[in-house]
Amino acid sequence: MSVLELHNVGISRGDRPIWNGATFTIEPGSVTAVLGPNGSGKSTLLHAISGLLPIAEGELLVFGAKPHRGNSQVGYVAQTRVADATSTLTGRDYVGLGMDGVHYGWGRTKGKRAAVAEALRQVGATGFADRPMHSLSGGQRQRIALAHATVFKPTLLLLDEPLAALDIAAQAEIVDLINLLRVEQDMAIIVVAHDLNPLSGIVDQVVWIARRQVKSGSIDEVVNESVLSDLYGHPIEILVTPTGRRVIVGLEEEFAHPHPHGHDHSGEEGHQHFAELYEEGRQ
Amino acid sequence: MSLWQLLTSAFVLHAFYAITAVALAAGAVGYFVVLRRQAFAAHAIGHIGFAGAAGAILIGWSPLIGLLVFCVVAGVLVGVAGASLDDRDTVVGVTLTGALGLGVLFLSLYSGYANATYSILFGQVLGVSTSDIRTVALVSGLVLVSVVVVFRPLLFSSVDSQSAASRGISNQLMSVLFMTLLALTTVVAVQVVGVLLVFSLLVAPAAAAEALTSHPLRAVALSVGLALVSGWMGLFLAVWLGGPVSFWITALASLAYVMARLSDLLKAQRLRRARV
Repeated sequence: MSVLELHNVGISRGDRPIWNGATFTIEPGSVTAVLGPNGSGKSTLLHAISGLLPIAEGELLVFGAKPHRGNSQVGYVAQTRVADATSTLTGRDYVGLGMDGVHYGWGRTKGKRAAVAEALRQVGATGFADRPMHSLSGGQRQRIALAHATVFKPTLLLLDEPLAALDIAAQAEIVDLINLLRVEQDMAIIVVAHDLNPLSGIVDQVVWIARRQVKSGSIDEVVNESVLSDLYGHPIEILVTPTGRRVIVGLEEEFAHPHPHGHDHSGEEGHQHFAELYEEGRQ
Repeated sequence: MSLWQLLTSAFVLHAFYAITAVALAAGAVGYFVVLRRQAFAAHAIGHIGFAGAAGAILIGWSPLIGLLVFCVVAGVLVGVAGASLDDRDTVVGVTLTGALGLGVLFLSLYSGYANATYSILFGQVLGVSTSDIRTVALVSGLVLVSVVVVFRPLLFSSVDSQSAASRGISNQLMSVLFMTLLALTTVVAVQVVGVLLVFSLLVAPAAAAEALTSHPLRAVALSVGLALVSGWMGLFLAVWLGGPVSFWITALASLAYVMARLSDLLKAQRLRRARV
């Protein structure tokens, strides 16, 4: 069974369409990069998969069923975890919340200590797990966040801009880690990113969202001049460096913002906090 | 009367029971106040309750009932609005001012002796009746049990609302639950330290605890412990040396906070030096 199946999926927020026509599948143990300009609706895709935002049209199946909130097969790392930078909690306690934070009452969760230790080991965070999170570097925090989102053994992991605000070395470490999770735990991983290059070595599939359209396929199928030019409605050039990095030319700001009105430049796409969406979805 | 006779007299014992119950609830809820950075809401709820108490006095009811109604309604409203609003402080501030205005009106309409108002503002724990103690114990017990039941989801939602939402926790529900617990705790804390000094039991011990430890359970235990010690010592000093109980409690709790921050600062400095 595929992890994820989309047939002609379209998403709107209110009566404003975000994008439509998304058709692709995601298999176990694969890495999918979601790319596109700010505000194009990349995070929105993750919200829909998490069941936080209903789809407007088409069919979206997560493990063969309609998406729903609190799916224990889906792990999620949000783009901005405001709490982290100020939290006095230790990484170990935060990862523990990923394990049993949804449980009411006082009962101990069986095997929690071992599962938390194992998740921390897997992401290489054992050495700093007992320090308060506000004292950690961005890369260390990202490792803790990965442990938090994988400690309950999900089979689909959604990562929203996990490489943002990291230096090149830390980016490479997190990319290796994402690959490790895929290989060792056969997790399907969807990574929202603004740059394909750091991820290109581990990506099986690319989903590119721009101007309310969604194109998907292998890197070569999507990241080429004709597909991207078509997607942006504007000639795009792709230069490949001797080391295989792709430099995309022609994505000026005006094309990077399909909805110039009302878009803030906070870097947060979709304009809404995940937590708020959740409440909206309940009504 | 000897000090021992004073300490074992009925009114001091009553105060001791009330302080114990209040410190237990306030220490525990206070941890979440600090964690969620909602000290201002905690401050405001008490003041909003003041208007309720003044209104109750005006119509000849027990001020406790007025406090309870106003605090809980305000708590629920702030909880509903606060889960999603960025300008939460503004909402709280405007509600607070409106309520205080009402309180002033009620006071001016009330022509009787204003002693009851004074005790709401500054606390009058040495005057609590047996029935007050029963109410305080009941409400504190309810708060403590609730904190135990919702501890993990509330902690999760307070620390990382986005991840909590993705795992199926309703942050809105947590926000309303928390504000309700805060309102109930405020109502009982007002019995001991009054509306104006409610911070001393609700925020200072928890803030001190948070500066001293990162572990949530340890922080809650420490917060409760500091609230208990400030409360008991404050009562003892007031009986021994004189002065209002609420003054001593406030002084001790603030002192604990200052000491905790200093020790945190020294620790950070030592670490920095060790690294260099």
